Amino acid sequence: MKKFNLRGFLDQFSAVQIGKKVVRDANDGTIHNKRMDMRNDIQERRENRDWNKVWNDFLYGKPHEERRLGDLYLGNTGLYKHREWRGVKDTFYYFHMIWMYNYVHMVMDILKGDEPLTFFKGVWRYRWMGQTYLSVMHWFDRGMEGLRGEALKASAWHYRGMVSETIRQFMRMFSADKKLHMGEENQYWKKTIAHDETVSGNIFYGWRDRFDDVALQMIPYFVSCHVNNKTVLNYIDAMQSIGLPADPCPMCQAESGIFVLDDYPDYSPVMVTSNEACDGSVATSIITDWFLDRPLFAMPQPMRFDDPLNHKHCMEEIEQCWKFIEKETGEPFNWEEFKKHAEAQNELTEFEREKWDVAANTPYYPINGVAQALYRIYYSQDGDRPIWHEVDSHVKKILNKCVENKIETFPKTRHRAIAWSCAPLYYSNWCTWAYNCWGINTIINMDSLMFDKTIRTDTYEHALDDLARYNELAPMRSMAVGGHEHIFQLWDYMEKFNCDMVIMYDQLQCKGMQGIKGMFEDEFRKRNIHAIWVPHALPDKRTVSRKEIRSIINDYMTTVMGEEPLDPTLVDFDDDASW
Amino acid sequence: MKKFLGKLLLIAGIGYVVLFLVFYFDLDGKFLYYVWEPNAVARYDKMKRKDNTLTPYTDKANVMPDSEVKERTVG
Repeated sequence: MKKFNLRGFLDQFSAVQIGKKVVRDANDGTIHNKRMDMRNDIQERRENRDWNKVWNDFLYGKPHEERRLGDLYLGNTGLYKHREWRGVKDTFYYFHMIWMYNYVHMVMDILKGDEPLTFFKGVWRYRWMGQTYLSVMHWFDRGMEGLRGEALKASAWHYRGMVSETIRQFMRMFSADKKLHMGEENQYWKKTIAHDETVSGNIFYGWRDRFDDVALQMIPYFVSCHVNNKTVLNYIDAMQSIGLPADPCPMCQAESGIFVLDDYPDYSPVMVTSNEACDGSVATSIITDWFLDRPLFAMPQPMRFDDPLNHKHCMEEIEQCWKFIEKETGEPFNWEEFKKHAEAQNELTEFEREKWDVAANTPYYPINGVAQALYRIYYSQDGDRPIWHEVDSHVKKILNKCVENKIETFPKTRHRAIAWSCAPLYYSNWCTWAYNCWGINTIINMDSLMFDKTIRTDTYEHALDDLARYNELAPMRSMAVGGHEHIFQLWDYMEKFNCDMVIMYDQLQCKGMQGIKGMFEDEFRKRNIHAIWVPHALPDKRTVSRKEIRSIINDYMTTVMGEEPLDPTLVDFDDDASW
Repeated sequence: MKKFLGKLLLIAGIGYVVLFLVFYFDLDGKFLYYVWEPNAVARYDKMKRKDNTLTPYTDKANVMPDSEVKERTVG
């Protein structure tokens, strides 16, 4: 005899009850009445429909307040029931020049690699590759939700630059990777220099004519968090599984976890590490040294660099690093090659300042907060590469057009915000959401304002002096842990960029910034500044979810600012399972 | 020739419409989310990996001559 199953019994019982209710409703006419009501409702809507408006919405897209972007999401997956209809022109621009263009160019970028077939081996071998980068077009979608016209175009070009450079880097890693070549140390392996993602590519300009330099964690860790935030959690957990407590900086945890899980490509005979941005990175250097087990140069950069003696020390460290590379590779530093790339990098810096000028003084700046931030930190850290110049030439045309024709690129701006400290990597596109939902336009952010240094190339001494300063102003260093006089540059930049609101990132595991939180609170009160604290744990979405970040901003906007959302469907939605 | 061109245009037209449908209904995202990612993750989870914690932390090569280390050591 079959065993009695209570759950099965209850399921069957409730199904019978529902069935009985349907029969009852059908008999007493309830279903018929509901159908009639629905039919009348549809009829009424059809009759009252303004066909001119329907046609205009089709041609030009719905007005901001009627878009209901939140209705497009499929459950908590972040996928779309359908991608947004932005009007004929912008939808087809997105389809042709962003979606199709990028898929085609991604294939072309892979084919340009030294050994294109290693792409498949890389997808097969590395989690960060196979799980993360294939979904890259969704990264575009999230960053560019709601954008129209020139803002859509300029922001997409920035993303295109980052995708192309990411492919170039992982293709070089795969071509040189001993693990993908049965342990063989091939010509690419011998001609590639590996370095920490926080050591700038410009340190290696003097060898670019003979070697390529690729940051080890940039692609497996940093960029991957933005594209698919699930991958990184494996590396954080792996590091904690060998005994690291959960409270140190999760960036350093994730960078080290890649080694614990043996998920790093072995593509270089040498390694250059850094203590940048903090002591957590010193620990990462030690772990890297342990696991990589090859000649490694740790290039520490001083925290409090304003002291001239510290600056001198930083210059010496860079020279020591150059000597290390010369010794290990047997190839001398090439000053002319260094000069060529440093001058090209200066061109990028010059254009960045032009962009800032437009952002600070006009409403015609066509780049949204996330594109501005990620592109700037990426190319500044990566150093001079042809793709950045190509992207800048496209963006320059768009920028000039916006200024000449006075095109207001973000017309629903209610607040001009500056974002300070380090952003949540798993939700760098929060600013796209904040503009769509509340009209908070993130004009500039702290990470963009670092690296603001032209490298003089008239003499070796000047170049070294400026290069050292450039590295002292590196990511998360000067304005996050480099002393309160740099951290409080916020007030100057707020004024310079005409901002009326601060989005204050609160990296819960950053001991440097946590120490100065109270001083910020005091200053915000004293200066009567609207500031929203956004807690997060850099790459780890489990500590503070994206939904929680949104709810903090929502609370501030409704209770303190007393404002109504521009798009109410974006106020509360679940995207916990999204990329 | 005309027939061939006509066929080519027809195929290109159908291809274009299919691509637009894939784009508009986010079918690329849905495929990667529901089909590719779970299978890829299952593979990476099952993958046999080298235990890097067995790497010996001894005999590290000195990248700097001892004399220089001494010179640069404070105190």
